[in-house]
Amino acid sequence: MKATALMKLIYLEMFGHDMSWASFHVLEVMSSPKYLQKRVGYLGAVQSFRQDTEVLMLATNLLKKDLTSTSAITMSLPIVTLPHVITPSLALSVLSDLLPRLTHSNPAIRKKTIVTLYRLALVYPETLRPAWPKIKDRLMDEGEDPSVTAAIVNVVCELGWRRPHDFLPLAPRLFELLVDGGNNWMAIKLIKLFATLTPLEPRLVKKLLPPLTSIIRTTPAMSLLYECINGIIQGGILGNGDDSAAGEEIATLCVGKLRGMIMVEGDPNLKYVALLAFNKIVLTHPYLVAEQEDVIMDCIDNPDISIRLRALDLVVGMVSSENLMSIVGRLMRQLRNSRSPTTDERGQRPAVGAIEPAADSDDEAPEIAIRPSREPSSEPPLPDEYKIDVISRVLEMCSSNNYGNLVDFDWYIDILIQLVREAPVVRPVTMLDDSDSRSRDEPALDVSGRIGDELRSVAVKVRAIRLQATRAAEAILISAYNDNSSPLTPASGALRPIAWIVGEYASNLETPDGTLTALLHITRSSAPPEALIIFLQAIPKTFAFIAGDDQVIWTPERKTMVSLLMARIIHVLEPLAIHPDLEVQERAVEITELLRLAAEAASGQEPSSDEIQQDAPLLLTQAIPSLFSGLELNSVAVGAQRNVPVPSDLDLDELINPNLTNLLRTVDMTALDEPDEDGFETYYHQPPAAAAPTAGEPAINRLGGASEDAVHSYQQGGEESYLDPDILARRRAERLERNKDDPFYIAPTDAVSRSSTPLHNILQSNNGPDFDVDEIPVMQLELDRTNTPVTGQSSPKKPIIPKSRQRIQVAADETLVSGSSSPGNYDSESNLDAPQRPKLKGKSLLQVDSSHIGTISLEEGDHAASALDFERQQREEAEMAKAMKEVERLRLEMQRANERIQAAQGVSTETVVKKKKKKSKPVEAEAGKVPTKKKKSKQVATDEGQGEPSISADVVKPKKKKKKPKPEEGGSEHQESLVSGENGA
Amino acid sequence: MISAVLVFNNSGQPRLTKFYTQLVPFPLFVPVLFPHHQLKLGSYDDISDTAVQQRLISEIFSLVSNRPSGSCNFLPLPPLLASSGTSHTPSSEHNDTPSLVTYRHYATLYFIIISTSTESPLALIDLIQVYVEALDRLFENVCELDLIFNFETLHAALSEMIVGGVVIETQLDRVVEGVKAQGKVAKRPVNEGRGAGPLGMGGNFAWPGR
Repeated sequence: MKATALMKLIYLEMFGHDMSWASFHVLEVMSSPKYLQKRVGYLGAVQSFRQDTEVLMLATNLLKKDLTSTSAITMSLPIVTLPHVITPSLALSVLSDLLPRLTHSNPAIRKKTIVTLYRLALVYPETLRPAWPKIKDRLMDEGEDPSVTAAIVNVVCELGWRRPHDFLPLAPRLFELLVDGGNNWMAIKLIKLFATLTPLEPRLVKKLLPPLTSIIRTTPAMSLLYECINGIIQGGILGNGDDSAAGEEIATLCVGKLRGMIMVEGDPNLKYVALLAFNKIVLTHPYLVAEQEDVIMDCIDNPDISIRLRALDLVVGMVSSENLMSIVGRLMRQLRNSRSPTTDERGQRPAVGAIEPAADSDDEAPEIAIRPSREPSSEPPLPDEYKIDVISRVLEMCSSNNYGNLVDFDWYIDILIQLVREAPVVRPVTMLDDSDSRSRDEPALDVSGRIGDELRSVAVKVRAIRLQATRAAEAILISAYNDNSSPLTPASGALRPIAWIVGEYASNLETPDGTLTALLHITRSSAPPEALIIFLQAIPKTFAFIAGDDQVIWTPERKTMVSLLMARIIHVLEPLAIHPDLEVQERAVEITELLRLAAEAASGQEPSSDEIQQDAPLLLTQAIPSLFSGLELNSVAVGAQRNVPVPSDLDLDELINPNLTNLLRTVDMTALDEPDEDGFETYYHQPPAAAAPTAGEPAINRLGGASEDAVHSYQQGGEESYLDPDILARRRAERLERNKDDPFYIAPTDAVSRSSTPLHNILQSNNGPDFDVDEIPVMQLELDRTNTPVTGQSSPKKPIIPKSRQRIQVAADETLVSGSSSPGNYDSESNLDAPQRPKLKGKSLLQVDSSHIGTISLEEGDHAASALDFERQQREEAEMAKAMKEVERLRLEMQRANERIQAAQGVSTETVVKKKKKKSKPVEAEAGKVPTKKKKSKQVATDEGQGEPSISADVVKPKKKKKKPKPEEGGSEHQESLVSGENGA
Repeated sequence: MISAVLVFNNSGQPRLTKFYTQLVPFPLFVPVLFPHHQLKLGSYDDISDTAVQQRLISEIFSLVSNRPSGSCNFLPLPPLLASSGTSHTPSSEHNDTPSLVTYRHYATLYFIIISTSTESPLALIDLIQVYVEALDRLFENVCELDLIFNFETLHAALSEMIVGGVVIETQLDRVVEGVKAQGKVAKRPVNEGRGAGPLGMGGNFAWPGR
């Protein structure tokens, strides 16, 4: 009755109804004497019990009892159930019952036991110590039932990757099994196991190769064939250097077979796994895979998402400058076609059939993909995740190796524009995620933002293409403003970098007016504050370009135009001055105030008539543009800051300059003296003192691409952006004078580096624009010089020799190449002690925690001293705990007995206490000698036996309470928890 | 290692769920409750395992049911598994994370195996095949209703093949034998729900070339 109810409950549990409340009833059913009911009970346990289920404690005895059952089928119930509910304590208690099952006459029981032991070992590594020799015996036993052997191999394979070293001695036997074992499953497992072993034992490779090759050549089972190839790849057999000819041969064989798997069979599964294998080969033999480009590219258009994704992975690996365009073109076409077909596309569909074959031949001839192609749009709509993936792969491919594979930047910009248009489909999703993804730190989700970033980095890095990039940005921006149907909204991530480009390179704009209008428009609409900040900065930049041209005569028209423009900007910005976001507010206020000033100046300035030539107000032509036209910005490599070495003698607590306060004062004063004091002043001016201690940093600034300033440091970075060059020069001279004697000041005008920039300029002017030396400033920082206070000397700049492809140069990310503190070194340093430390990692769903098992060794003659010691100690502690419990129990018994005696005699309470003390001492002494459990309890027992008669003899010793602590003290050295247990008792 | 075996029908109703490893709720699921989930594993009993299981099933189902026919039998990782999987740095421990979702579709049923990368994908497909064939033998032309009314047998057959996530038997005869050994004791009136008639699963058994 109950069993039936439980059955129904289990069924319901499958549908998501929690049945943990019923665990006690499950236990009841489990203990039923009828097999049928018992089975239901165990099933319930499997399905509903967790490691923290409380009734598990109660179940222990039941499990033990059933394990020793006479019936094989009853016995297998607990064996099968144990893996689901196992806990270390449970493992400890059932282990002794489980071990004899390894030699049970029924092979089914044997193999189940083996697996269960494996799961036991995962939670309780000690299991392996007694179990492993027996398992090994089973494995070595030729007469063993093949399915048991297979089970062992499975287990060994699972254990194998955790502790490959321990299984090397088994290799001969395993090899034997591989050669003549008929079981495919086992063969697969063996190959997988060998793949983990070969890196440790190179000699295995030679031995393995012939059978593997013969399997590859002969086996009818695809799965085995695939695993052979996979094993060869993973085992590093391909990459083995000493026998390169044979390795090459087998690699070719593998690739050929894989190609066959993709091509010949119509089976998608084979395609999938073959691509997986290709993905692994591509790391070592990219050229071999690249030969298979045609089949792989076909897979990219496969209707199956899984296959596509794998092919995509692969494509990224095999991209080169030759095939980049065709690959990207293919992907772009895919993106395009997946859009919901518009009416005109629909009209074009009939032409499809004829064009299909032509598309394949495109692989050879690079084509500009974004031209509207008349490809079939009958494909199923792609999921957004896939599109995001494709887009980011495209970006990754193109930008990889610092645009090393890219030949045609015009093409790339076209691609980017197209991508911006494609991305919108995914935007609703990504933007929705965006707000909370920021907290989760997953910026990768915002693909359109990444596209924009890409455009921006092209604009920054590739000067030759900057004009086009800016124009592209402009076009996108204006289309976002004009075209209501345009999918770009102000919230789109792409617009931010685009707005930045437009502002920064305003001089390249085609229609600055239109751009400004668009900017103003998107600023007015509701955009997230992060975007607004960027828009806000772009507006004055663009404006400065429009209004700040001092060549043009200050005519009445111009005056009106500029005033109008300013009025419009102010009108837009004013509401933002009360924006809830502080950054936005601040910038809006600053810009508004600045423009107000400018507006005043403009209205004050009379327009030039025919007779009087009037200049435009200086504030417009000089001050505002110079705010934004300071240094050229170069991209800085991630981590470059970290590479700035800390000088060994840098003492941050020491006063850098005893004269600091005076210095500060003078600097403050000079700062206050600046010509245009307005909102910007405070914003741009960073107090020099703040940055002073970071003496090592300024080196990074001296990369100074095209700037004419030879030197500048973070301290003055703010100033330079708005100071006139002559003022800067004067101040720099002053400062140099001041700091000449200061050893901690980094003398930036070291003879070498001082000359470098003028040299540049000369070079540049002599060579003309064709040879842009300063395009690629690679900073090198020699660390051996850093022990002198004068750090950060820049070595002579090394221009990267332009490759023969086009005259486009891509500026490398600025970074510092340093000997000892490169990022890699940082990593290695921090990793130094990592192996010893067990890492606390997030465990994923369904993951098995096997971290413990790594600590246990399977070798009998174990030399891992520390590990062993630790284990022994643990064991001792366990024994100790047991012994102490035993002692405690005996003590209680004796106490009770004593009380009885006391009742009779009225004296002997004290003796018990003394007895107790005596007894616990030998036990402690014993613990050092690694006693076994049984021995221990026996020891205690005999102890008791010896002690018993002496009770009556010893009759003195007062105060029970005084004595009690003593044994505790002894015990606490080993087992603290025990003490509390004792106290409780 | 195999992490879970699932069977559900065309409308996503589970017919068999077997998890060989415990499901650990992860932060995306209940971000506020488990800020330190990485440190205290498996100690959260306030979120029921079953809820996570159900979520996983529905995620896999939505993946599986959207696949066109003729596509391969491997699924991209469902979000629940993927997000927890990718946060790991690929290290030696990656072998512990479930990384492979293999499925097969028979008539009205989907059979799904979630496993770690130590299993061979093609072999898993074969494994499902063996399982289904074993069921077919046990029920003599199996149909979904058999699974509903005899789902205990499902579990029994599965436990003859997989114990604790490790495959112990791949030979059809032995599996059937093992279940029948128990079945003699547990024999019920087989196929009480036969009214619907066989759904022709047998027709699907032709397996090309493997």
